[in-house]
Parts: sequence; structure tokens; C-alpha cells
Amino acid sequence: MAYHSFLLEPISCHAWNKDRTQIALCPNNHEVHIYRKDGAKWSKIHELKEHNGQVTGIDWAPESNRLVTCGTDRNAYVWTLKGNVWKPTLVILRINRAARCVKWSPKENKFAVGSGSRLISICYFEQENDWWVCKHIKKPIRSTVLSLDWHPNNVLLAAGSCDFKCRIFSAYIKEVEERPSPTPWGSKMPFGELMFESSSSCGWVHSICFSASGSRVAWVSHDSTLCLADAGKKMAVASLCTETLPLLAVTFITENSLVAAGHDCCPMLFTYEDSQGALTFGGKLDVPKQSSQRGLTARERFQNLDKKASSDTANATLDTLHKNSISQISVLTGGKDKCSQFCTTGMDGGMSIWDVKVRNPCGPLRLG
Amino acid sequence: TRRRTGEALRAFHTAIRSSPGNTRNPAMKEQAQGTMLKVLTSFKSSEIEQAVNSLDRNGVDLLMKYIYKGFEKPTENSSAILLQWHEKALAVGGLGSIVRVLTARKTV
Repeated sequence: MAYHSFLLEPISCHAWNKDRTQIALCPNNHEVHIYRKDGAKWSKIHELKEHNGQVTGIDWAPESNRLVTCGTDRNAYVWTLKGNVWKPTLVILRINRAARCVKWSPKENKFAVGSGSRLISICYFEQENDWWVCKHIKKPIRSTVLSLDWHPNNVLLAAGSCDFKCRIFSAYIKEVEERPSPTPWGSKMPFGELMFESSSSCGWVHSICFSASGSRVAWVSHDSTLCLADAGKKMAVASLCTETLPLLAVTFITENSLVAAGHDCCPMLFTYEDSQGALTFGGKLDVPKQSSQRGLTARERFQNLDKKASSDTANATLDTLHKNSISQISVLTGGKDKCSQFCTTGMDGGMSIWDVKVRNPCGPLRLG
Repeated sequence: TRRRTGEALRAFHTAIRSSPGNTRNPAMKEQAQGTMLKVLTSFKSSEIEQAVNSLDRNGVDLLMKYIYKGFEKPTENSSAILLQWHEKALAVGGLGSIVRVLTARKTV
């Protein structure tokens, strides 16, 4: 477990390059900064300045090494490294509200952008015009799209929205790909087809994630719930009302386990029990620091009693690694089926890398 | 006495079970609120923890909703006992149960 404090302000979003030697992040402004790992230090090597509004999403394509960014200026840019300079290409999203999230498809020939315009822009490169074009998925989205995740087949796209729903759409673009084969989510996948829609939870869907196989999708909502839809069980939805503050980010780390984090400032483990179709809480993954037990003077006891109606010093400071809400989780090594390392960034401007240890294939996961 | 405690507990479970789930009827809601408040205030402080522990997750969430409803319309001695219920319910339901009071589309 390693923690690095990049900024004194929130990290709005981040993305890693393929070999995890560089991280691109937005330091809560209109820019994207790229840092490279130099031994134990991080050095800033690039500043990408093109957006006119806060950068809300970054994704780094591992194979083609292109970056895509989107922002509140209603634009997206695809960045290509030419020599030692990142060159932006504007992509017209045809939206009239802020863009909120962006993700490259697995084959990196498309990317999706969610926005406050209550639609998803699916963007692909048109060879003849040497230009990125986009198609819109609109129905039946009723509010801002906060998060997106692609199915491994490069066609299906999961979207979490402020209208409290998780949906799976087809983002099939005939110009760039073959017709997809049937999946457990359905066989007919024309562009824009709604393959799955959750019944309403009671909170904005902050983050959504497909499992590595694509047959499960999980999401976290602002009503402090975690939900999972299993295509192998006829899309049955399991949900868990957590005891925590709302979670803001979630990812699968095996086909049956998830890590989520949010306003409680620490990552938590959740397990999906296949046979029962149930989600359970597996514990917090943060290592609590030893709180110093010092004696209180009588005066301090009285002051605590007056201010907080309690005379003990517990919980006076956060004993988690992150000192503010965690807003994003990314898988570093092992993929979503055998994750051995993941990364969190948060509103404390810090980035932390966490090791996951599997004691035995059927046993519980532990933090290393 | 144990018999009295048993009755209070049974009344509690009945009130939880028969809570009108999806109604928008204000009269029905008020009646349910009144019944629940009567049951909650009839408990001795020492009996509260056992009652809370006998609930499942949905029950704790529902209880928390009624507790906050009770705070909204305080009677002479209701807040004191409701605060004790709140403390025990929070210990079991966590902050998440309070979050769900705030985000619920269907109120009690």
C-alpha cells in the first residue's frame, strides 16, 4: 500500500498508461497533467491545456496509447503523442451541457461520453473525412449520465444516470465493426437498443462496472446501496443497503468480488454469492493507524462533553489513508477478474495504490 | 416485567410489519405514524437495544424513517426516548440507514 499526495485540491479524474509508469490526472482545473514514476518520486512531464472548462473524464487507451478527455466545456479531445508532445484533436459531441465521463471501448475504435444533456455520445473515426463523428443514445435517459463502462464485446455499454437507473445499451457502430454475437444480455443489438434497465433505486448512480466476463454489472447509488445484475440469472438484481455513507466508485476485482469506495474515504470489499444471488459486505480494506491514547485533562473532558456530548477522543481525526472522499478507483494489475492491485484518487488530492492478496481461490480476499 | 416487555416487543413487530408500504393517503400515514410513536415511547430504555437487534436490514431502515418522522412532530416527552432509539438504530444501521431516510422517494 502506497499513498502519494499530488495536490492540495481534489483530483477530478485520472487514467493510467498501459505499463502503469505514467498517470494522467486533472488537478481540479481545465488542464490534464501527466506524471511519470521516477523510482519513488513522481515527476510532472506534460501539461495538456486545451479545455475551457473543468476536465471531468480521462481515459488512456492501452494499445494505441491515445488519451481521450472530456470536460464541462461540452467538448472532448483525443490526444496523440507525436514525439514528445501530446496533440489534441477536437471531437464535436453535439451536446449542450457539460460532459461528465468518457471511456474508450475495449478495441479502442470508439469511445463513449456521458453528459448533462441526458444522452450518451458514441464517437468513432470516419476515415473518409479524417474526422471523429458521433451518434447519440437518448431514449429513455432522463437525467445526467454520470458513469459508463464497456462490455468486453466492444458493443454493449452500461450507463449510470442521475435518474436513479442503471442501463445497458447497444453501441453497435456498423461502420467500424462486425455484427456482434449473442450475449446473455440479448441477441439483437441495433444501435441504441436498451438491453437492460434497473428498477429505480433512490439515488444517483455514481459508478457502474461490468465484470471481466461481461455477464454481471454492478453499480453504486447515492442512497448508500450497491447493486448487481446477473445476466446468468435472467438479469436478476441483488442489492445491498450499506451501513456506510454513499459510495462513489466501484470495480470488480474477481468475477465474485468488488471493491467500492466513496464518502467514507476508504475502500471496502463486497462479495457476490452466486448460489444465493446475494451481496455481502466484506470489510474495510484500510489499515487503521494506532490512535495515540493520551490522557485527557478534566477541562478537555468537559469541553468535549459540551461540544460533542461525549468525552472520548475517538474519531476526532480520520484514521483512513485518504483524508477526504475517494472519487475514483482503477484496476492496475490483474484485470477485473484477478486484480492484484488497484488505485484510488480522491478529493484530498491524494493517490493510493492498494495490494490485494487472495489467500486461496475460494477464500476471502485480504489487503496486503 | 418480562410479560410487559414481551407485549411491547410484539406491538413493535406488528407496527413494523403493518406499516403501509406504498400509500400516499395522508390519513393512513398519520395513523401509522401515531401508532408507531405510541409503541416506541412505551418502551423502557433498557429494552430498546433488544428490539432493534430483532430487526432485519429493511426493518432497521423503516424504523429509522419513523424515528425521524417522530422528530418532525415532537410531543412533550417523545424526543428523549426517540434519541435513545436513534442511538441504537444507528449502531445497527450505520450512517447508510440515515442516508436512506434522506433519499427515500416513498416516505412513511
